[in-house]
Amino acid sequence: MRILVVEDDAETANYLVGGLEEEGHAVTRAGNGRDGLFHAMTETFELLIVDRMLPELDGLTLVKTLRSAQIESPVLFLTTMSGIDDRVTGLNAGGDDYLVKPFAFSELIARVKALARRPRGTAVETRFKVADLELDLLKRVVKRAGHEITLQPREFRLLEYLMRHAGQVVTRTMLLDNVWNYHFDPRTNVVESHLSRLRTKIDKGFGTELIHTVRGAGYCLRAPE
Amino acid sequence: MRQNKLFQATSFRLALLYAGLLAASVLVLFGLTYWFATDYAAQDETNEIAVEAASIQDEARLRGDAELPGIIENHMRLRKDVRAVYLLEDANGRKITGNVDAVPPVLGPTILDRDLDGQKRQLRAYGYRMANGQFLLVGQDTATLRQMKALIVRAFSVGLVVTVLLAVLGTVIVGTTVLARLESVTRTARAIMSGDFSQRAPVRGANDEFDELAISMNAMLDRIEDLMRSMRQVSNDIAHDLRTPLTRLRQRLEHAKRRATSVEELHEALTHSIAQVDSILETFGALLRIAQIEAGGRTGMKMAVDVSKLLSGIAEDFAPAAEDQGQRLVADIDPQLRAEADPELLTQMVVNLIENAIRHSPPGAKIWVQAKSVGDGLELAVSDTGPGIPLQEREKVLRPFYRLEASRTTQGSGLGLSLVAAIAKRHDAKLSLSDNAPGLRVAVVLPAAA
Repeated sequence: MRILVVEDDAETANYLVGGLEEEGHAVTRAGNGRDGLFHAMTETFELLIVDRMLPELDGLTLVKTLRSAQIESPVLFLTTMSGIDDRVTGLNAGGDDYLVKPFAFSELIARVKALARRPRGTAVETRFKVADLELDLLKRVVKRAGHEITLQPREFRLLEYLMRHAGQVVTRTMLLDNVWNYHFDPRTNVVESHLSRLRTKIDKGFGTELIHTVRGAGYCLRAPE
Repeated sequence: MRQNKLFQATSFRLALLYAGLLAASVLVLFGLTYWFATDYAAQDETNEIAVEAASIQDEARLRGDAELPGIIENHMRLRKDVRAVYLLEDANGRKITGNVDAVPPVLGPTILDRDLDGQKRQLRAYGYRMANGQFLLVGQDTATLRQMKALIVRAFSVGLVVTVLLAVLGTVIVGTTVLARLESVTRTARAIMSGDFSQRAPVRGANDEFDELAISMNAMLDRIEDLMRSMRQVSNDIAHDLRTPLTRLRQRLEHAKRRATSVEELHEALTHSIAQVDSILETFGALLRIAQIEAGGRTGMKMAVDVSKLLSGIAEDFAPAAEDQGQRLVADIDPQLRAEADPELLTQMVVNLIENAIRHSPPGAKIWVQAKSVGDGLELAVSDTGPGIPLQEREKVLRPFYRLEASRTTQGSGLGLSLVAAIAKRHDAKLSLSDNAPGLRVAVVLPAAA
């Protein structure tokens, strides 16, 4: 995947570029907002990772400019801890996701993968199928091997998110952000308890497990190999 | 003493202004009085002359013109005291009788300068031509008018002096009392600027504007002092509380450097270290968030929130987590409760309270999430059957990093309730901790939506 990293802090940029290249991505690097905009306007990238605070041209303006020029590559904003309002303004400006610094690299990778898959502006999917597990958004029905399964509303949303990102690693914070809409990290095991309940309903008694725990990273819903 | 000079200058300017204004009004009053009074007196004199002349003419008509000198002499005798003037001349301008020298006969009103009792006097007179050709002049000394004018001038001169004196005196009194009170506020401000933050502006108890100013200023100073103290407290606590985990982290890393013999051991040490750094960063994050909420950011984020729906959702989310701990979470939420709030902050506040209840209560405990309408707003409450908080500790647990002895060992930054308090304050809500007998009940009363 071709990725543009716009980050002025050399150490963070090295960390990002090094890690992403290790993952097999082709990374272009820009040290300020103006250079970042130039690269983004003249080349094609599948993903942009943009710091909010940049010299010359701030990240927000950069992305607004890109969006007004009809450049729709997904954008992942990087923000600092103190910027609690950044998420809303960032998403409003045309960002697709945000990550608060400092972050674990596994978190970044998971989000990069999720964004690369996100179909921008394509038709909305309403039915998902992974192996013998089916989910219908319109009928709000979940079936495993033809058997209907009753889920709580939150469990349904959790499963929907997992199925949208089937085959990808989904982190705890991604789930909190997108399923619970909690933009802070609760200390109790909200995610874990819901996941274990969902697992019991989806996997128990069906032989093959679909929901997997990826140690130190998150969860993954995938069909058996 | 620049400020003293300024103060004096202000009083002096005020005194001058008031004295000037009052003097001007006294002068205007004087002019009007003088004009109206003298006009009236002159008219009165003229009328008196006319009446006197008419009475002489009447008598002459009755007794015949030949009796005129006798009539006049009679009148002269009778009205000697009022300094009346009479003159009768024959057709050739020779004086027949009278108490003044002959004058050329002029008909109608006239003013004569004449010696009267050895003094130069102005006379107001009226000349008449009688039927037999004689000229009659009846007049009166203008003494009354002159005296009245003199009196008015004297009265107003004295009045003017008194007025100016009073104005100056009044301003001096205003200067020394009112301006002195402003001075005391200035002095307080100066004392604070030079470092003595305990100074407060004096309040007289007169309930006037100056007291109001002093009270508002003192309240502002109290708030600032409060913030400064809590900031100092927080920075002390941060220094202290972050030193401990950083020291532990250092020890762990050093230990790994010296003792670790395999890659696996090093890896393990690093994994632990990263977890420790994450928890330190989390503490920083929480601190920043509290600071930001307290600093009053996110003002534009308030909106009409369906509190019932929000709370029910949270209760549903946390019921399984409580269940996993062998606890039971019960929601008792009245429907259709609304409030003007920041939904994200409100969510975090309730989540923090529920998590506290789950974390500090033993298995088998019951946790309630309640919401209902109360008199002046909306009460959200989270209560549990856990160990509770002793009365004397309830105020302290709201402070950053404060932890009860019993919970020292449980995980947590000690910032959860501080965050709750900050969010409550941000919403002008009242936060109270009470005994749930057994356990703790934390209630937040949001003010009713305007």
